[in-house]
Amino acid sequence: MRLRALVYSLAGCAAALAVTWEIGQAAAPRVTPAAPSAPPPAAAPTPAETPTGSSASAPATSAAGPSGTFSGSTAQTSYGPVQVAIVVKAGRITDVKALQLTNQDGRSVAISAGAAPILRTEALRAQSAKIDTVSGATYTSDGYRTSLQSAIDKAHL
Amino acid sequence: MRTVATPPPQPWVAEARAERRESFRRRMAAADLLVAVAWTSVALACGLFLAAGGAATTSLHDVGSLFTAAGILTGLAGTDLLLVMLVLAARVPLIDRTFGHDKALAAHRHIGKPALYLLLAHAVLLTIGYGISDRTGPIAETVTLLTSGRDMLLAYLGLALLIGVVITSLTAVRRRFAYEAWHLLHLVSYVGIAVAVPHELGQGAVLAHGSLERLYWIALYIVAFGAMAVYRFARPVVVSLRHRFRVVAVERVAEDVVSIHLAGRDIDRLGAEGGQFAIWRFWSRETWFHAHPVSFSTAPTGGTLRLTIRSLGAGTARLADLRPGTFVSLQGPYGLFTDRARTAPYLSVVTAGIGITPVRSLLEDADLRPGEATVLLRASDERQQYLWEEVVRGVRATGGTAYTDTGHRPRGRATWMSAAAAARGVQLTTIFPNLLQSDLYVCGPGPWADLVVRDARRAGLPRHRIHLERFEA
Repeated sequence: MRLRALVYSLAGCAAALAVTWEIGQAAAPRVTPAAPSAPPPAAAPTPAETPTGSSASAPATSAAGPSGTFSGSTAQTSYGPVQVAIVVKAGRITDVKALQLTNQDGRSVAISAGAAPILRTEALRAQSAKIDTVSGATYTSDGYRTSLQSAIDKAHL
Repeated sequence: MRTVATPPPQPWVAEARAERRESFRRRMAAADLLVAVAWTSVALACGLFLAAGGAATTSLHDVGSLFTAAGILTGLAGTDLLLVMLVLAARVPLIDRTFGHDKALAAHRHIGKPALYLLLAHAVLLTIGYGISDRTGPIAETVTLLTSGRDMLLAYLGLALLIGVVITSLTAVRRRFAYEAWHLLHLVSYVGIAVAVPHELGQGAVLAHGSLERLYWIALYIVAFGAMAVYRFARPVVVSLRHRFRVVAVERVAEDVVSIHLAGRDIDRLGAEGGQFAIWRFWSRETWFHAHPVSFSTAPTGGTLRLTIRSLGAGTARLADLRPGTFVSLQGPYGLFTDRARTAPYLSVVTAGIGITPVRSLLEDADLRPGEATVLLRASDERQQYLWEEVVRGVRATGGTAYTDTGHRPRGRATWMSAAAAARGVQLTTIFPNLLQSDLYVCGPGPWADLVVRDARRAGLPRHRIHLERFEA
């Protein structure tokens, strides 16, 4: 009887770890690229002011507002730089990409990785940099807001 | 004491064997499943770290991140164990029916220290891990953490409370406290667990806002604290108010033993079984602050209840003066010292002193066939033969056999029977010829009961056939 409890327990534990590992792996691509993909823009001492899409003055959508991707300035925090870029379509922010997130160490990365999706959702909802601080990720939130605001300014939204 | 020859097998035996084996199989299936659920919850707690991408942010080359990962994992596992402990102590009916109240609490005690060690490791490992990452020492990091806001201060407070609760629960320390004082102190652990929640949800990234992990974690707390609130606190109040037990009479059984007769509404619906106990509180001015774990001493299914209590302390001594009409509240009924827990066709019972009380109601509640039950009642002297007459009469009325053994145990010999019986070479198997086809119910003072269990194990009775109710004498 005890043996069966042991077998059930081992099976349950193995299943739990396998499933959560799988979830972690599936989520990982969203989490890790932020740091590795950051170097190019981070390497530039002055934040890239080059809209990669059509510029704010693009006539195609002038009536509705600007379109394109606008990188914000790099905000320095105690736990590393934070930089975001916004994707704008007809004057609306349709996506916020984290180019750099606090990456000082495993803890900072974990914190900002947890906070970034929330900050992004907030930003998309607010359509501005007036977003709440994610508790436990104060530095990331501050940096995120600063960089987001500069990106919005650049897009002349 | 005398011995009898093995009676011929009865036709009902095979049927009863199959029936009880099946009920035991079902109970064990539930038990194994519950054990597995508990362990899986620990793995799942650790898995939250993986699900939040913990493996990706932990690098073998970064010592700080390794410490941090270990710290997070120990925190998750330790907290999960704390919640398991809460559920074990919450008197959940499913757990009581499956393991029994005493085994659930034994498991609760068993997990206590490991859970605390995990949480201490959590604090130490994270302080070191963060310290390495921040390039400061553990002391500077502790200062940083302590000053990083209300959440962390509360978390340190919670840990300190839990350390205090575990220390006061160590056997040596616990003896110094009256049960009531110890129990009040023990309730502080709820506070200790609850104040740690803000730092769990606010600090780490594992339980970030809007994540599934956070929802699951909160659900765990709701289940654990909910079980506590419902079964430990709300249900006793509801049961007490529904049945409105009152003292009808107090009857002196012996110099130090009284029987308290209770009347109440719908006793049938109490769902109590013979052999069970409840934790009683008698609401008179002198007695309301003591709660007494006492077994039913008659089958709790008729129109009245009877509790038989031996005075062990000042609290129980005052029960003799209870007035008729006194309101009585209860937590319970609890326990698996019942007919339901039997796994074999025959029933063998050994009691000592006041240990006879649950047996009295167990025998009355069990539907016994002739030859099914064999009972041995023990007392150190004549004054301890509480309820003997009615038990012997009851056993014989169902066609069972009752033996008695009166006399002090021999000095310097580890035996559970009187010197005279031991000298005659009496053994469990000579008293209970069907011992190996029976469940053995043992109720009496702890050290004495352990000796009975020792002999039963030596005779070859499997552990699950032994049902033990130890009294602290």
